[in-house]
Amino acid sequence: MTTLLTSARHEVLCILRAGVALLLLAVFLCMVSLSSVIGWITNTTVTRVYEKVLTDGLTTAPNPFTAVSPLYYARNSVIYVVLIGALLAIVLGVQSTLRDRKSTTSDLVLSRPVNTISRLAGTLVGLGVVIAAVLLLSTVISWGSISIIVGAPLGPDPSLRLAVFAALSWALMMIFALLGMLTGLHSRKETTALLVPFVVWSAVTFVLPQIGANARPVALLNPVPALITTGTNSFDLVGAITGPFAITEQFKRAAGIALQDESLTGSPTASIVLLGAFLMAMTWIVLATSRRQLRSGLNE
Amino acid sequence: MSDTWTVAGKELLDLRRDRLFAILIAFLAVATLISVAVASADFRNQQGAYNLYVANLVKSGTSIAPAAPQLFPLKLLRGGIEYLEILGALFAIVLGYETIAKEKHRGTLALVLSRPLGRFSFAGGKMLGLSIAWLGVVSALTVVSLLAVVTIGQAPIRGSDVARLLVSSGFAWLYLVFWTALTVGLTALSTRLSTGLILALIIWLAFVLIIPQIGDTMDPDNQVPGGLFATLRIKKPDELAVLAQFSAFDGIRNGLEVSSVTKHFERLTFAFLGIKDQYNQQPLGLVWVAMLPYSITLTAATFASVVFAALATTRRTLQRTHS
Repeated sequence: MTTLLTSARHEVLCILRAGVALLLLAVFLCMVSLSSVIGWITNTTVTRVYEKVLTDGLTTAPNPFTAVSPLYYARNSVIYVVLIGALLAIVLGVQSTLRDRKSTTSDLVLSRPVNTISRLAGTLVGLGVVIAAVLLLSTVISWGSISIIVGAPLGPDPSLRLAVFAALSWALMMIFALLGMLTGLHSRKETTALLVPFVVWSAVTFVLPQIGANARPVALLNPVPALITTGTNSFDLVGAITGPFAITEQFKRAAGIALQDESLTGSPTASIVLLGAFLMAMTWIVLATSRRQLRSGLNE
Repeated sequence: MSDTWTVAGKELLDLRRDRLFAILIAFLAVATLISVAVASADFRNQQGAYNLYVANLVKSGTSIAPAAPQLFPLKLLRGGIEYLEILGALFAIVLGYETIAKEKHRGTLALVLSRPLGRFSFAGGKMLGLSIAWLGVVSALTVVSLLAVVTIGQAPIRGSDVARLLVSSGFAWLYLVFWTALTVGLTALSTRLSTGLILALIIWLAFVLIIPQIGDTMDPDNQVPGGLFATLRIKKPDELAVLAQFSAFDGIRNGLEVSSVTKHFERLTFAFLGIKDQYNQQPLGLVWVAMLPYSITLTAATFASVVFAALATTRRTLQRTHS
């Protein structure tokens, strides 16, 4: 237990001392804070566009934003978690395991009566605490900014939904942090350790959705899902195989439903179960790393 | 000049032996093939749905059928271009980082710098070698794209299509050299090598993903699935007339988008390949005239990036870099 807590505390300290990691954290928090403001400015402009169209007699259709949920303003945060949050988690994960191998302190640490699982679990707990703290801060910022925009404090239901979104974001970011830890443990070069999880992330985020759902690679950047022409045997079949591995899409679906995105229907249960399964599997793989691997040096 | 060529030649030799480089390029080629396969499968689905619809119309006795979906071969390359925008830039960053990092890690940097090299020979040679490597990669990807369109997409290719593809490949080369040169400069300036890589990745994140994402979010027609104006059943001329009254907002949105070099590359290639409907099947000369500002800015950005790499990669900055 002491090993676990000491490792966790050490990890938190190292992250706080790493300038680049803090820069990424700042970018993430900044973008989440801006997300609501960008949403509000756009919503205001689009409402003015609708009013103009209505005044000119060009439409009789109802305003599509009349009954919009206050959580509409947080929808961009989903994209920022997938883009910035996941990359931040990868960098933190890689550095957490690569640090000791680079400075060869693993030999010193493991010369003590230290259990490998406790050591790695401690590092993981440290990462989890930092990521949770960042997400707590970003949720408080989102809650505050949305409350200001709608002119009243958010009620229990939207507040709970924001908390669920934060929990889902934590699960996704931890999966990528674990991936980073894994490549940090097994790569022989620092470049490979950073690059492999980046390539996996880009394949999972951009390539898999295209294969399985005919979504364009940059569709992720669009706040509104594209009207995709699936419903055919070929895409449905491939989608059924690749869908469970497209965890960023699973996250987007679960988070979108939690944030009351009207374009998403159905239950988020399957997506949440998949995220949980990936998290557990990755944790097990990382914790099963051998003592010898922890002590392996870099080939550069 | 011979020093520069020697460094360039060594860089090319290293890249030829680099498994990581081969894996990255293979990944990009596979992603391009997948995107063409998905786009052509989608077109065949549309065609199947159209045939079914027409058959039903005939059965019900109606003779007026809507226009059949038309296949424009180069439009099948949209996904491939988007992969180059995102993944190509990412791999270009890795290549730029590696070119400096490997010399440091292997201990060859001190050896190279002990020779009487000219001020710009090392940086110039590195950039020359990497530019030649990217030229080879872009040429290979162009051939793969063409073959994919003809075989997987089963689309006929004309001479003008090849010309459009070659022009787009030229811009792809400029775009990739831009990211590589930027990373070479950043890595040379960073006291820790990994800091240079992570800084380049943050810039990539901001300019390739975040800024275009904000631009997309602020697009009034991008607020509901299918488009706001289509949902409100508003015709194109009316849409333009309404939007003209919100030009300040649109100016800010467009300003954000054009601050990203990725958007310049995207607008250029989408125009030349006819992916953007406005330029589809238009004469090449007309597209050149319309896209001249973007071609100038992309070229200028790449030139500036190469100059930055050359100025940043000095004997002093390289020797203070820690691994």
